[in-house]
Amino acid sequence: MKNQYKYLVPFVVAICLVQSCDDEILETTPYGQYTSAEFWRNAEDAEAAANAMYQPLRWEDLYGHSENVFDNSSDDLFRAGDHGYETAMENFTFDASNNGFRYGWTAKYEMIARANAVLINVPNIEMDATLKNRILGEAHFIRAFAYWRFSVIYGSVPIVLEQNVIDNNFNIAKSSIEEVRSQVESDLLKAIDYLPESYSGDDIGRASQGTAYGLLAKLYLYEEDFAAAISAGEAIINGPYALAGNYRDNFEVASENNPEMLFAAQGLDGWADVPKTYDAPRPWGGWDFHNPVEDIVNEYETDDPRLGYSILRPGDMIERGGEFGTVEFTADLSQTGYSLTKYWSFNTDDGTINRDHNVPILRAADVYLIVAEAKIRQDGPGAGDSEINIVRNRVGLDPVSNAGMPELIHERRVELFGENQRHQDLMRWDKAGIVDIVSIYGEDRGQFDPPRTFEKPKHYYFPLPQSEIDKSEGILIQNEDY
Amino acid sequence: MKSKKSVSYQGHDSSLYAWNLCAGFPTKRKILPALLFCSLISGTTIVAAIPVDGLSYDSNIINFQQTITGTVSDELGPLPGATVQVKGTSVGVTTDFDGNYSIEADSDAILVVSYLGYATQEVAINGQQTLNVQLQPDATQLEDVVVVGYGTTAKKDVTGAISSVKAEEIENLPVANVEKALQGRMSGVQVVNNGGAPGGETKIRIRGTGTVNNSDPLYVVDGVPTSNINGLNQNNIASLEVLKDASASAIYGTRAANGVVIITTKKGTKGQKPSINLNAYTGFSNVRKTIDVLTAPQLAEIKIERSANDGADADAVWSDPQYLNQTTDWQDEIFETGYTNNADFSVTGAGENSSYLVGFGYYDEQGILSNSFANRLTFQLNTDTQVTDWLKINQNLSISRRKTNSPNTSSSQSGVIASALRFHPGLPVYLADGNYSTTQVSSEFGDINNPLHTINEDNDLRQANTRLLGNIQAEIKLYDGLSFKANFGLDGEISDRKRYYPQILDQTRNRGLSSLEREYSEFYSILQEYFLSYNKLFGDHSVGAVAGYTEQSFENQGFYAQANNINDSESEKILSNGDNDNATEFRSHDGLRSMFARVNYGYKNRYLLTATFRSDESSRFAEGNQRGNFPAFSAGWRISEESFFNVPLIDNLKISGGWGQLGNQNIDRLQYLATLTAGNRYSFGQDGQVQVEGISQSTYANPDVTWETVEMTNFGLETSLFDYRLTFNANYFIKNTEDMLLRLPAIGSQGTATAPFKNAGEVQNKGLELELGWNDQKGDFSYGVSANASFISNKVVSLLENQDYLTSDPFSRTGQELSRTYIGEPIATFYGYKSDGLFQSEAEVNAHALQEGAQPGDVRFQDLNNDGVIDDNDRMIIGSPHPDVTYGLNLDFGYKNFDLTAFFVGVGGVDIFNAEKTVGMNSSFNFNYHAEILDRWTGPGTSNSTPRVTFNDENNNFRTSDLFIESGDYFRLKNLTLGYTLPLDITEKYGIGKLRLYLSGQNVFTITGYSGFDPELGLTNGNLQQNVDTAQFPQSRTYLLGVNLTF
Repeated sequence: MKNQYKYLVPFVVAICLVQSCDDEILETTPYGQYTSAEFWRNAEDAEAAANAMYQPLRWEDLYGHSENVFDNSSDDLFRAGDHGYETAMENFTFDASNNGFRYGWTAKYEMIARANAVLINVPNIEMDATLKNRILGEAHFIRAFAYWRFSVIYGSVPIVLEQNVIDNNFNIAKSSIEEVRSQVESDLLKAIDYLPESYSGDDIGRASQGTAYGLLAKLYLYEEDFAAAISAGEAIINGPYALAGNYRDNFEVASENNPEMLFAAQGLDGWADVPKTYDAPRPWGGWDFHNPVEDIVNEYETDDPRLGYSILRPGDMIERGGEFGTVEFTADLSQTGYSLTKYWSFNTDDGTINRDHNVPILRAADVYLIVAEAKIRQDGPGAGDSEINIVRNRVGLDPVSNAGMPELIHERRVELFGENQRHQDLMRWDKAGIVDIVSIYGEDRGQFDPPRTFEKPKHYYFPLPQSEIDKSEGILIQNEDY
Repeated sequence: MKSKKSVSYQGHDSSLYAWNLCAGFPTKRKILPALLFCSLISGTTIVAAIPVDGLSYDSNIINFQQTITGTVSDELGPLPGATVQVKGTSVGVTTDFDGNYSIEADSDAILVVSYLGYATQEVAINGQQTLNVQLQPDATQLEDVVVVGYGTTAKKDVTGAISSVKAEEIENLPVANVEKALQGRMSGVQVVNNGGAPGGETKIRIRGTGTVNNSDPLYVVDGVPTSNINGLNQNNIASLEVLKDASASAIYGTRAANGVVIITTKKGTKGQKPSINLNAYTGFSNVRKTIDVLTAPQLAEIKIERSANDGADADAVWSDPQYLNQTTDWQDEIFETGYTNNADFSVTGAGENSSYLVGFGYYDEQGILSNSFANRLTFQLNTDTQVTDWLKINQNLSISRRKTNSPNTSSSQSGVIASALRFHPGLPVYLADGNYSTTQVSSEFGDINNPLHTINEDNDLRQANTRLLGNIQAEIKLYDGLSFKANFGLDGEISDRKRYYPQILDQTRNRGLSSLEREYSEFYSILQEYFLSYNKLFGDHSVGAVAGYTEQSFENQGFYAQANNINDSESEKILSNGDNDNATEFRSHDGLRSMFARVNYGYKNRYLLTATFRSDESSRFAEGNQRGNFPAFSAGWRISEESFFNVPLIDNLKISGGWGQLGNQNIDRLQYLATLTAGNRYSFGQDGQVQVEGISQSTYANPDVTWETVEMTNFGLETSLFDYRLTFNANYFIKNTEDMLLRLPAIGSQGTATAPFKNAGEVQNKGLELELGWNDQKGDFSYGVSANASFISNKVVSLLENQDYLTSDPFSRTGQELSRTYIGEPIATFYGYKSDGLFQSEAEVNAHALQEGAQPGDVRFQDLNNDGVIDDNDRMIIGSPHPDVTYGLNLDFGYKNFDLTAFFVGVGGVDIFNAEKTVGMNSSFNFNYHAEILDRWTGPGTSNSTPRVTFNDENNNFRTSDLFIESGDYFRLKNLTLGYTLPLDITEKYGIGKLRLYLSGQNVFTITGYSGFDPELGLTNGNLQQNVDTAQFPQSRTYLLGVNLTF
């Protein structure tokens, strides 16, 4: 039996071999992923990180759908569709656990997280200074934009900045609306410093100086700092941000990235959709959300082409294409008998819904009307005529003269219908004593715009998501009256 | 042979005294029962044992001694490794490779010949010098061998908690995976069926849910550790052992916390002549139950009432005559008769020095949902070769190919069963123009697609897996009980998932662009192990030891690719035909390097002691945190072996106890690194056509992350009574999971990047496991009963600092939170409001605490905190998904050539959250409803449980509440089999060894009060949400006819 030991030799050798080279077995290469330690090397990394900041805009939780649900509370839209929770949002019968308040919360903080990451890491990258400034400017803008949306929806929210990321400290108390607005302002001012006036070629669609000025003008108007609003808004009026020749250009795939379009959630069919095509009638491939109500249809002046550019009415004929040819819009295609048509069109080759549409967030026309309002509220009727008339002139309407707030309110309503402004505008004007939102929303305008009870001041702001209040273990305090 | 000492001691009581033989001189020592334990580990022990020194011992006089030689054999030939002992002494030898032995004994002594698995025989020497003994196989449980980690052991010597399943219990059950066959077979082992889809996933939970993370056990197939046993054919399994307690499983260290399942595949038997076995069955299956839904006229009535309740005009579509006729029973359309076919063919045999098994099997199941299927092709090759008398090589190889396709039934948005419950019953399957009917005609019909459209047109979701699992082992006998083993294993799988999503234009959930996606991945794991085993008898002392080194690598790599605009024709479904194709590649590596050791000591077969230790290094953790050490100890006392134990009824009585630590490293990789991921797509440019991708942080890091530790204590009792006819085993365990990995809470203000895991939580599982068996034979009639029951309680002891509970994903249709995991409570309890009937009048609404939006006919929720307002603070735990008891009951009867088996499983004291009803009964959805909605409230006194119909539902009647908690108790005849074996004298004429025909039924009947499709529901959000009914694929009822044939 002794000779058997010679057979052990190969095993012993094998064991020795294994023991000597097997540290590899414990190696931990993160294949296909970057670690925070090895990323942030060069301009390419910085640009990739900057691109990522924009991407949440097109999520269903933001401009893909949920962000514009907040405008269902206005008197322009019936929620339609089939999201049960949107009923309570529209009717002011919601509580804090309503889904609608949860959806955009994390998405906006994700934009902020991506902007914070850029602001922490890009300054340390050795790269072309112009590009670096642009990227830092974009980050300041994106962060400002997210906090701006927080300020209009919830009022006061936690402010997460670079230091919170470095300290891994996110469960923090909310700041007042003044602090949130002040953060928006300081980020916008930095963005203006860093950003180019406009873009050409492949970079069109990024935040520019004009984007930041436009939002700044809106912020100042909300703060009722009219002089500042006018001054910021004039940077648009005097800058390379001319209105598109045709109002509808802003909502057509081929022309939507025109100089008027200061900011939009960008969609590209098959690559990066924005699911706002929700709005299209169901038999045509949409889900029939956000139906215009009778009252907004009646708001348009006779011959205002913006009505036809924004709303489908029974009898309208549309080129669908493919096997469908020209189709007629009939009242049974939507719940109110009207359909919002700013965010979708047909692919005329096969009649499918074209998912290439952008969702406009800030247009120069909006800024013209901001300046007009600031001037009227600062200097009285007539002060904003010129800006209002530029907007009206584009659609071939007669100029107004000595326009006061009623004319301004009308113009904003029809120009920006369906662009997520009306509910916020009404609340803003109500706070200033210009309109009475309680009576406007209390009016009975039929089945799709029944009387709704707007409680003041409770409903000026929506409640923070209940799930976030719960998770914060007492640190995040709910808005008053909820 | 060395010289031999002979000692005698007069007038002793052998049970009270022992001889210290190792020391070479006799001492008298009183034994304190239970202080000395004995263990003799493995079957290999005895196989490997070589003639030992020993003492002849005689209690009376020293007699003439002689050498006796002979051969021990069984009916097939010599038995190497059998033990021959002189009765009443500790003198013993084992037979050599040819079954020969030589022993010295007194001429009037009696030899005791034993071998595991055979009845022990006593043979008087009577002066003879040659004694040949033929042993008979013995089926009593006591002599059974169980496979443990890195060895085998006699069941009687086990000191840990191990449950076993034998081949005949799971053979020919019409199930697509082995786990399903184990349901109810063993105490402490819960089988969680995630629906009844062909080829669907099944989880095993051993001794409760130990962690909120992955709590799947480790599987060890013929010595190769693996994370799953997909593709294994249960008809190739010889035995399956579940190592339940720490003492049994600690030898697998950082992968053992959730228990270990050891599977041994069938082998050829030495000396066996070649035989061919054929097992085949064919059968059909049906859905067990459907849910009553409204007819078209009933639905219109409800919808009109709904609008009236909301003060609105009903949509014109509800008075449109074309939708008022009852047209389609959608459940009838989607469910059909399924079928199951299986054929297994194997050849076993043996030559002089080797044995083999070659198996080939095909299983084919067509599910009860149209266009769902699973099939599996398996190949098994096992050989065993005794190369020389000291070198043995064995090899196992199983190869399988599985294909499945099943429509989505899990989504609450588009699941096909949920859609069938909700689709308008007045719509036909097909319109007159041949197109599918569609809810596009009215948003009043909801956002769901025609279920037949989904099943027929949008159901190309094929998955194919090819798996190879095998190993080769060499065993070298080195010296006197010492042997060396090397084990090289390979576990590999190619997984290919190809999914085609057609363009859908005429359904509500439409798809503008068709797309094809394919995920192709290759997994392989390489194992190498070297270990020494030592087993030796020193008189009354048996010593066993095993120690070794093992390392295993796990590589996973593959790609995912997707392209758009691909036509719906088989020949064109190729990625390169599409546009915008994009591909990502993925790759990961894991490694484990370990040392392990186990020592067993036994004294006089009465006192048994086991100590185990494993040290693992794992690549799952950062350097410095990679090593984990896992010790375990256990002891047993076979009281029935003591001479003072004189209870004739009791044949075997053993108590045991053990303690040990185990690990769980089953967590996401790279938790100690913050990672960034590419792929955030966006577009820029004048025409918006410039495609860009962004990179953003996807995870936060915790550099300190390490494994979860389980500390387990076990107490066991094992008895056999009435000549082994009655067996009763009981185990009690306390299993504490410490350092449970918890994700830091995903606070919204952090964004969407995943928070890291932190070792923070504790979970305790405590339980009692009982197994009872009775077997007897009366003439031609034999029968057996075996039953098992497990009573396991689960409790979360702690979570993260400042954290009271973990939440779970909301139910996506309603956005409602269903389950929470609270400290002091079981994992995944249901959390919501307590209802208190319906408001019958305005006065009742006013009299109640402020409940926003409530009207008469709405649900009244209890003001649990008595603050006068019904809000989120009025929620509480309203149910638990963990059964108080799970049980299995098996009845066997044999009469002449007939055999009958009835196998029942059941659970008691368990709750189900019927989430299906929160949509199916919820009139704020534009769907069809369960027929139960006809019992709705329509005025005072009409109902106190089914709320009024309302679209606005301002009371949120369908928020999570106890209204949807139902008892999930069930008692199910899982399997019923009646077999008839043709008489041998008939079959032999045709050269057939055995021919048995049988009829079998699976899920034959179910007694349950549960109102949904099926009370077996599984997991819907990992372990954090369990027993939630989302209209999952139900289990089917299957009947089949089969044949077993042996040549």
